[in-house]
Amino acid sequence: MVGGGVFQQILRRKLHSPSLATPVRSWLSSKTAHVEAGSSGVRAFALLGAGVTGLLSFSTVASADEAEHGLACPDYPWPHDGILSSYDHASIRRGHQVYQQVCASCHSMSLISYRDLVGVAYTEEEAKAMAAEIEVVDGPNDEGEMFTRPGKLSDRLPQPYANESAARFANGGAYPPDLSLITKARHNGQNYVFALLTGYRDPPAGISIREGLHYNPYFPGGAIAMPKMLNDEAVEYEDGVPATEAQMGKDVVSFLSWAAEPEMEERKLMGFKWIFLLSLALLQAAYYRRLKWSVLKSRKLVLDVVN
Amino acid sequence: MFHPTIWCDSDDYRADVEVVDPKKCLEESCKPKCVKPLLEYQACVKRVQGDESGHKHCTGQYFDYWQCVDKCVGPKLFAELK
Repeated sequence: MVGGGVFQQILRRKLHSPSLATPVRSWLSSKTAHVEAGSSGVRAFALLGAGVTGLLSFSTVASADEAEHGLACPDYPWPHDGILSSYDHASIRRGHQVYQQVCASCHSMSLISYRDLVGVAYTEEEAKAMAAEIEVVDGPNDEGEMFTRPGKLSDRLPQPYANESAARFANGGAYPPDLSLITKARHNGQNYVFALLTGYRDPPAGISIREGLHYNPYFPGGAIAMPKMLNDEAVEYEDGVPATEAQMGKDVVSFLSWAAEPEMEERKLMGFKWIFLLSLALLQAAYYRRLKWSVLKSRKLVLDVVN
Repeated sequence: MFHPTIWCDSDDYRADVEVVDPKKCLEESCKPKCVKPLLEYQACVKRVQGDESGHKHCTGQYFDYWQCVDKCVGPKLFAELK
C-alpha cells in the first residue's frame, strides 16, 4: 500500500513535469525525496509477488489449455501428399465403403452426388446401381403430389436425418457434422480426422467423462459425443484387404480428402505446368527488359566545365 | 534384433490368424522409446490416486507420453497399410 502510494506520486510527478527529457533523473530525485525508510523494500517485494503470481497463473492456464486444444496430431505420410502425387483411388473406393457402412447412419455428405464417384471410385454402372438402391423424394407430379423414386446418378448422397434438429435429437444434443468438407474444415484436417478416429483411448488418471460422452485426447476438450466406430473387421472389403482399424481409418480419410478436394489432381498438374511456363516467361521478360534498358543504362555523362 | 515392421505386418491372409491392428501393434513396439514420459505418467497416477479433491489429473503427462508414441508411430504406420 505504502509502496503503491509512492509509485503513484512518482507517476504524477512524471506526467506533470514540463519536459520528459530527463525522466530517469527526476524519478530518482523524487524517489530519494519522498521515499520513507522501508517502503522501497515493500514495493520491490510487491513487484516480485506480482511477477511470481503471473508466472504461476501462466502455468495453470497452460495445463488447462492442453486438454482444451486437444493433443496435437502427428503428420502421417499420405500417399497423395507430394507435389505431383495423385489420390490412391483404390483407397478412395474402400473409404467410400467404410463411409457407407459405418458413418452414413449419422453423418451426411450432402455436397457429393453419385455421379461424382464415377471414374474416381466406381464405374458408371456400379454408381448407377448404388444410386438405384436408395429412395428419393421427387415431384410434384402432374397431379401435384410428391412421390418417391429410385435414385439416379444426379442425386446427392442420402442424408440420415431430415434436418439438424432431428440429428441433434437422435444424438443427445450433438450434431454429427456433414463430412463433405471436413478435411478442409479442421486444422490439419487429414491427420486430425485419422488421429481422432483411431485415437480412442482410456482417459488419463483424474479425468472422468460423463455418461454419454467418450474420451478422445485429440478432440478439443477431450470429451466427444461420437463413440469409437472403427473396430477391426467392422467392414469386409471387396478387394480382400484386411479391414483393421488403421486401414479403415486411412481409407475413409482418403475418401474424405477426395470429397473435400476432388480437383486436387487437376490442380497439381495445372500448378506444375503453369509454374514452369511462368518461370520461363519470367526469364524471357527479364532478358527483354534488360535489353531495352541497356540503352539508358549504358549512357555516359560528360561534365563539361568551363574554367 | 526386434524388428517392428515384420511384427506388425498385416499381410497375413490366412483365415485362422486373427487380424492385428498395425497401429496398436506399433504403439506397443514404440513403448520402449518412450519410457521416460511413461514413467512420469505412472508416477503422476500414483500421486493422483490418493487425491480426494477431484481436481488433480495427469493430462499433461498423458499428452507427453502419447505425443512421444505418436511421433514414433507416425512415419512407420502407413508402410504397414495397403
